[in-house]
Amino acid sequence: MTNGTNNQVVVTGIGCLGPFGLGIDALQQALATGVATTSDIDRSAGYHRNGSATQVAATGELDLTPWLSEDDGRRMSQFSQHAVTCARMALGHAGLAEIPSERTAVTIATAFGPGGFTERLALQVLQKGGKFASPFLFTDCVANAAAGQIAIATGARGANLTICQREAGPLLAIAQATNDLRLGRADVCLAGSVDELQPLSYAILDRFRALARPTARDGKTEELPRPFDTQRNGYLAGDGGTILVLERDQHAKARGARVLARVGDSARAFDPTAPRTGHGRDSAALAARLQERLGPQLRTVDTVISSASGARRGDALEAEILRTVLPKLPQVLAPKSVTGEFGGGTLGAAMLALIGTNFGKPQGCTQPDPNIGIELADGLIHAQHILCSAHAAGGVSSWLTFSQP
Amino acid sequence: MSRSLQDDPVVVTGIGAVSSLGATAESLWQGVTAGTRGIGELSLFETASHRTKLAAQVDTNALPQQFAHMSRADRFGCTATAAAAQNVPKDLLQSGRTGVFFGSSTGALFEGERFLHKLLNNEEGDLHSIVGLQNDGPGNAVAKQFRCGGPVITYSTACTSANVAIGAALDALHSGEVDVAIAGGADELCEITYAGFNSLRAIDSDPTRPFRKDRKGLLMGEGAGVLVLERRSQAIARGATVLAELVSAGRSCDANHVSAPDPEGRGAVAAINQALQEGGLSPDDITFVNAHGTGTPHNDVSESKAMNAVFGDRAKSLPITSTKSMVGHLLGAAGGIEAVLTVLSIQHRLLPATAGDTPSDPELGLDVVLHEARALPTSNVGISTNLAFGGNNAVIVLRSPRHSSPGDRAPEDNRSPEGQRSQ
Repeated sequence: MTNGTNNQVVVTGIGCLGPFGLGIDALQQALATGVATTSDIDRSAGYHRNGSATQVAATGELDLTPWLSEDDGRRMSQFSQHAVTCARMALGHAGLAEIPSERTAVTIATAFGPGGFTERLALQVLQKGGKFASPFLFTDCVANAAAGQIAIATGARGANLTICQREAGPLLAIAQATNDLRLGRADVCLAGSVDELQPLSYAILDRFRALARPTARDGKTEELPRPFDTQRNGYLAGDGGTILVLERDQHAKARGARVLARVGDSARAFDPTAPRTGHGRDSAALAARLQERLGPQLRTVDTVISSASGARRGDALEAEILRTVLPKLPQVLAPKSVTGEFGGGTLGAAMLALIGTNFGKPQGCTQPDPNIGIELADGLIHAQHILCSAHAAGGVSSWLTFSQP
Repeated sequence: MSRSLQDDPVVVTGIGAVSSLGATAESLWQGVTAGTRGIGELSLFETASHRTKLAAQVDTNALPQQFAHMSRADRFGCTATAAAAQNVPKDLLQSGRTGVFFGSSTGALFEGERFLHKLLNNEEGDLHSIVGLQNDGPGNAVAKQFRCGGPVITYSTACTSANVAIGAALDALHSGEVDVAIAGGADELCEITYAGFNSLRAIDSDPTRPFRKDRKGLLMGEGAGVLVLERRSQAIARGATVLAELVSAGRSCDANHVSAPDPEGRGAVAAINQALQEGGLSPDDITFVNAHGTGTPHNDVSESKAMNAVFGDRAKSLPITSTKSMVGHLLGAAGGIEAVLTVLSIQHRLLPATAGDTPSDPELGLDVVLHEARALPTSNVGISTNLAFGGNNAVIVLRSPRHSSPGDRAPEDNRSPEGQRSQ
């Protein structure tokens, strides 16, 4: 992606929802507790095996009517509903009542797309036959449905992109949007991540041993995500959405917008040693790539918003890279312990760390893995320069920096 | 990047394709220039419960066994990449300076359906078969197979996915982030999308007839199309064959309807104009169009209005074709295979005809290439358009290689344009 700072991009708004509820304040409260809001995954369809993971950080029933009429909502999947809600919330937060339609782009990352509609359509086709497929389900079950619905809801006629790169998607989406803004293709971009996790996707992730399983500690057996912890054994699957309003600096200034953060540069790389559904071992190559792309900016990083989620190998890979590029390791946060994996919670956490927020000690992280040697920070965090990282199962890594305005 | 884009443009140095016309770009080109339709009855799954039976299905017996353990889409992507990247030095390919930019809208959904079917019957499916289930499957498979260490990213914007990916690769090369980009897309046929398009009454029960007056719908296909892209200076330095120049890309959104195109084609106009502007081109520079041309009544009207809006009266004499009439609609990979065909059109100075026997629709106001391939000028600038669900539009511009130098090799076919008409 484009380097340089002469054509700066800023964040002026955020909209988010997830297991923590609606909006940045709800996310802030959840992060302060260090505790994820979880529930039992619905096992009624029979997809799950005995002994599988049971907990999910699912977005519950939310009142979306301030952003989405009931009529509009009925025409969309939950995935699209959440995307449109986050987009409108973000525009409201940014004070952008009207967008420059032709100059507004949308870039959304998703790992699973509209899982609910896709599963329902699949069951129609496989159980009843192709003639029973619903056109209503089909048109909103493509991965880019959310980005398209955002465009229809907001009138954004610029580039409309959807990136599918699992856990690395949210940072790649922000980097893509930033690049398009810097190249002058748009003045405003709604960028972020939306995901809808359904029991079927959950059951498949569990079969690949991606999800946290119950572990005994202090006389209790709990199924918790434990980033960088000695007993980590998988992540907490979750869903939700986070969308940022990105603007060209001069556009934000011209309208007197409040700036939440300045977007820095990004890096991305692939580790061919990674198995198709897991993390690889070539941390040296990934670190070299990160250093090559972001070298000077790394020296000023005072806070890392880590992708650590409790994944056994993924967390170790993350630690190896951080220790290589940041010998004096700054404070490290792992917000996925609260938001769950998927839904872009790390983007919201990054904005809150810049604004100044209390981060609670993650519930499951009381025994730092001595082989990793990272103890997660807690308390009031007021970051100046943030490095966000993400390492996706399958080998893709991405990094992005944010700074104070 | 030390040299200007004008001095050091991005060029195509390798192509690879998998389609119902075969497992190579050569078989694809031979087929489309001969007007061969790679269309037949689906055998991948039972069609009795579907409204139609036809598709452009890949014969996997023609694919190399090397990738037989993969999903269909992964296999298509890796087969096309192996051909496209065969002349890229291994140390360059297997480095952090090589990125993979892919489009896919299905991933391994066919294998996912088989897995779900077993679950519904209380059986366990083969987990290995669905490691590429998500849309990033083909791009990840290519990166892993060819050990690329640079950026790897998958765009899933329905039928524009591969064109969007090719545009992203262009950006990465322009910025100097990568030295080589493997760009394109791969998709596979599956029951969900086949039934889904049928539920919209968007599939023609007969072979598709893009731009024809009697057109009734699209025809689904599968496969992959891949370009190897690099900056011209590097291509020349390593003695690579320059097949074409990738000039620019444009993207836009209709913001109008989730599945229907803007009736006036306004979004497509914006995408074409952006591509022309970023390429420093005017509409008069364009010598041919490889159109989206799905054959649905709405798409072809919308696209023709866009062509008329951009090119004015010249639309009536600007050669346009839809190669989907022969290889079907490859969805997320459509832009990939159509980019390969656009490169081949430039290389051979020949635009394949849109297959079919009936007359073109005069109300579209287009110069549709019919009956036989048409010779193109010596030097060409071609655009390849894709329009998609979500109101997505993505366009790429390719042109004949410029500034010949000792490092460039001449196009393979040096016959005069008159001598290149297909039989």
